[in-house]
Amino acid sequence: MSETPPPRSAVPQLLLDLVTNPLDPGYAAAARRRGTGPRPRGTRSAAAAVLAIGCLVIGFVLVTAYERTHRGAPEAKKVHDRLVSRVRTAQHDSENLAAQAAADEARLEALRAQSLPQSGSLARDLDAASLAAGLTKVTGPGLTVTLSDPKAATSTPAAGRAGSVPIGATTTLTDRDVRSVVNELWRDGAEAIAVNGVRLTPTSAIRFAGEAVLVDFQPITSPYRIQAIGDRDELAVTFAQSDVASRYQTLKGAQGIGFHFGDSGSLTLPAGSPTTLRYARGGTR
Amino acid sequence: MIAGAALVVGIILGLVLRPTVPGWLEPYLPIAVVAALDAVFGGLRARLDGIFDAKVFVVSFISNVLVAALIVFLGDKLGVGGELSTAVVVVLGIRIFGNAAAIRRHFFRA
Repeated sequence: MSETPPPRSAVPQLLLDLVTNPLDPGYAAAARRRGTGPRPRGTRSAAAAVLAIGCLVIGFVLVTAYERTHRGAPEAKKVHDRLVSRVRTAQHDSENLAAQAAADEARLEALRAQSLPQSGSLARDLDAASLAAGLTKVTGPGLTVTLSDPKAATSTPAAGRAGSVPIGATTTLTDRDVRSVVNELWRDGAEAIAVNGVRLTPTSAIRFAGEAVLVDFQPITSPYRIQAIGDRDELAVTFAQSDVASRYQTLKGAQGIGFHFGDSGSLTLPAGSPTTLRYARGGTR
Repeated sequence: MIAGAALVVGIILGLVLRPTVPGWLEPYLPIAVVAALDAVFGGLRARLDGIFDAKVFVVSFISNVLVAALIVFLGDKLGVGGELSTAVVVVLGIRIFGNAAAIRRHFFRA
C-alpha cells in the first residue's frame, strides 16, 4: 500500500477494512475523545442506563425472532399430523367399506340364488346379462396381446419434477395404443377383455394420467397384457390381419416397442367392478 | 454486568410477552437479529479491548438496524430485496466472525 492510495482502490479497501478491522470505528473514536482519565459520575450512570436499554432491546429482538421461528414450526407439524391422520382414517374407512361391499355382494348372491330358480329362462337371461356386463369371472379360449415400452427409452428422461415432463418425452405407449388394441379385439369378436388383470365392463374407460395408463381409474404400467376371450382362431387371424396389428409390427421395428400376440387355450378373466346406475332406469319394469 | 442483566431481562420480557410480529415487519426481523448479534459481539470485543462506550454501542446498534432496514425496504420496492438482505447479512456476518475471532484471541491467546 502506498502512502497516497489512488481513489480506485476505495472498494478493495472497504472490503479489506471489513475483514481485517471488524470493530465499529466508533469505539476507537470515542476512546480517543474521552482520553484516558476517569469519567465523571453523571456520565457513567447515564451510560449504564443507555447500555441497559440497548441490551434489553437486543435480548427482546433475539427472543422475538426465536419465538417466531419456533412457534411456527410446531404449528406446521400439527397441521401435517392432522392431515396424515385424516388420510389414514379415510384409507381405513375405504377398506372397511370395500370389505362391507364384498360381504353384501356375497349375501346378495346367496339371496338371489335362494329366491331365483336355478334353471330356466330367467336364470339364463341373468347369467347372460351379468356375463355381458362383465360382472362374473369368465374362462375360455382366446388371444393375448402384449405391448411394452422400449427397453431403453428412446429419449433421455428430462430432469425435473415428476409430471412436469411432456408425455411424449418419456413414454412411447399411451392410453391410445392400449385403447386401439382393445377396440380392434372387440371388433374381431372378443367376448370379454381384461387389461393387466382389470376386466373391462361396458362403462370402462382407458385413459392416461401422468405417466400411467388408467383402466377404470386403476393405474397400470408397461408391459400391457390385453387378454381377450373369444374364438381363438378367428381372433388370431382377424387380429393379425388388422391395421392395428400391422401398425404395431411397424413400430416394433422402428421404435423398439414390444409387441406380440398369441392364442391361448384357456384364459381366466376376473370379474369387473359393478357400476351403480344412478340415472338410467330399466324400461321393462 | 448491567449489560448481561439487561439482556436477561429483555429475554424474559420477550418470553413473557410473546409478541406477535406484524406482517410488514417480518422481512426486517432477520436483519434486526443479525444487527443485534453484531452489536453484542462488537460490544464484547470493545470491552475486552478496553474501549467500550455505551453510547457508541447503542447508537451503532440502532443505526445499523435502521440502515439495514432502509436498504432492504428500498430493495423490496425495487425488486432486489432478497439480494440486498443477503448483502446486509453477509457484511454483518463478516463483522461478527471477525469480532468473534478477536474475542477468542483475547481469551485463549490463540
